[in-house]
Amino acid sequence: MKRAVLGLVVLVFGLVAAAEPCLIVGMIIGGTKDDAGYNQSQYEALMALKEKMPCVEILFAENVPAGEAEAVLESMILQGAKLLFPAGFAYMFPALNVAKRHPDVIFMHPGGYMLADNFGTYFSNVQFAYYLLGVAAGLMTKTNKLGFIGGMPTAFVLGNCNAFHLGARAVNPNVTTYFVVTGAWVDRAKEVAAAQALIQQGCDVIGSHLDSPIALAQTCCEAGVFYVGYPSLAVQKFCPEYWITGLGLSWGDFFVEVAQQVLAGTWKPEHVRRGLEAGFITLGEFGPKVPEEVKKVVLEFKEKLVSGELQPFAGPIRDQEGNVRIPEGTAWGPLDMGKFDWLAEGVVGSPK
Amino acid sequence: MSWFLSWISGAILYAAPILFPTLGEAVEQRAGMVNLGLEGLMLLGASLGFAVSFGTKNPWLGVLAAAGAGLLANLIYAWLVVHRRAHQLAAGLALMFFGIGMSALIGKPYVGQMAPVLPKYAPTGPQSLLFRYDPLVYVAFLLAPLFWFLLFRTRFGLRLRAVGENPAIAYAAGVSPSLIRYIAAALAGTLAAVGGAHLSLGITGTWSEGMTAGRGFIAIALVIFSRWNPLRAIVGALIFGGAVVLQLQLQARGIGVSPFFLDMLPYVLTVLVLLVWGRGVRHVAPASLGRVYFGTE
Repeated sequence: MKRAVLGLVVLVFGLVAAAEPCLIVGMIIGGTKDDAGYNQSQYEALMALKEKMPCVEILFAENVPAGEAEAVLESMILQGAKLLFPAGFAYMFPALNVAKRHPDVIFMHPGGYMLADNFGTYFSNVQFAYYLLGVAAGLMTKTNKLGFIGGMPTAFVLGNCNAFHLGARAVNPNVTTYFVVTGAWVDRAKEVAAAQALIQQGCDVIGSHLDSPIALAQTCCEAGVFYVGYPSLAVQKFCPEYWITGLGLSWGDFFVEVAQQVLAGTWKPEHVRRGLEAGFITLGEFGPKVPEEVKKVVLEFKEKLVSGELQPFAGPIRDQEGNVRIPEGTAWGPLDMGKFDWLAEGVVGSPK
Repeated sequence: MSWFLSWISGAILYAAPILFPTLGEAVEQRAGMVNLGLEGLMLLGASLGFAVSFGTKNPWLGVLAAAGAGLLANLIYAWLVVHRRAHQLAAGLALMFFGIGMSALIGKPYVGQMAPVLPKYAPTGPQSLLFRYDPLVYVAFLLAPLFWFLLFRTRFGLRLRAVGENPAIAYAAGVSPSLIRYIAAALAGTLAAVGGAHLSLGITGTWSEGMTAGRGFIAIALVIFSRWNPLRAIVGALIFGGAVVLQLQLQARGIGVSPFFLDMLPYVLTVLVLLVWGRGVRHVAPASLGRVYFGTE
């Protein structure tokens, strides 16, 4: 509603008018493209597509509220778009409505659970990669107290917190992780307050699952505690000194793959979920204060994760009450990540 | 004990950005104007302040620019309700949407940017590390008694309150209701925008769209809660700031309280205050609050 007032800023990065584009690709995002977070990662993937396939024409709109998504998508189709990325979870149903009206246009939606003949989904296996941030945090902490700030207590957030904690415990069994929810994906003032509360608690490494942890990074720098970044590597510039490492959503190559499939007519609707091994998510550079031994261990874990030798969610894993949630001999895979409604043993905080 | 102190320290910090708009709105309502546009004014201050600090590398110029913009924007509101005799609620909502849109437009290039922020100072003493604040925090808490004095101990305050109670009689007594209302609106606009600038330049050091997250409305609730008294506004703002910090600190200690419940708290308190005092013999709300003054000429 708020953003409706601003109006829509539709930027058309057109080719020279004479050149006929091989494919017109459209994207809408809910925030701004420079948020050093989720929206920026979507936009960067689109730009990577443009760079690798110069014949593609890009249509792009930011700050699109879910209520206006249908209208914007329709206007992109009017301009000839044949591949659309409604790049926000909230666009799932609006985009599906538009997809029904335009069976000749392909839709790719991030993180959703709906499929149609011309509607597929994509996302990264974030939780598995987040385990690596935990490993790094477990090695870097002096107080053995880690903090984790979530926007909302959703399954994916709880999964990331659990992965962070389990990764840390794998290298440092004494670690306790303190989990705090702000109640909003973006509320910078509360993010600062949450970080301060965790720092006062003694936490000296902080992980997060927010739209963009810019304010958190700055708070860490001020207090002199470490942090790991997600979902965009761009956040490290806000506090390079105390940056350990981070994860960036990276879909550029996949967007190229999809565009080529659409052009070749081989595209199929499916839930595409890939991880580090496919470049769907990228482990960032290490910060200046990270010792060589730590880097080495983290990269070893990464190798095992990529090869499939390491299963971060292999049982037995207990929850806070000590109940076995993942029994011995079984392991949760990418499709189980929506099932987290609990926090692992050793995490302090409420999953509700 | 250290836990208690860190809670108090946080409560004070997060009370400040809400105390600014609350004080302004209290003055404005005392002059008979309800301004629902605070949220927009705060956002305008937050984004323009950040933009100017980014451009000039001086956060104080940012605060100054925010104050000026808030003042001007609220004078538009005052012009609408005083001279154009617009409905106050409608004009306030229009101002809010104007502020939301304008702030997004101004702030657009500054999303994901860094700007110089306000320096922090601490009073000397054993707990000085815990109570390190940017100067605007001190300013907010000093302004409250100042505004109380202005409203209740000066001739200007008496006139302002008279305009809020009955502009016709105030006019008959030789006071210009229009002038008073313009001054009140100017003060309120300035304060609301400075409150917003405190969020972007004092607390978070970033600009993000809609970053006030409803604080402009909490301020309106706090005015009612504090019964139009700047000193009680301190209490209201501290309760709000304390609730925000408390729920996060409780979570960090493993005591689960729903953040959504605590976010509701200021409104629940306001409703309770209205319940308790609303039926009182003499209502404290300015009698002409929200009414259009059609002039006595």
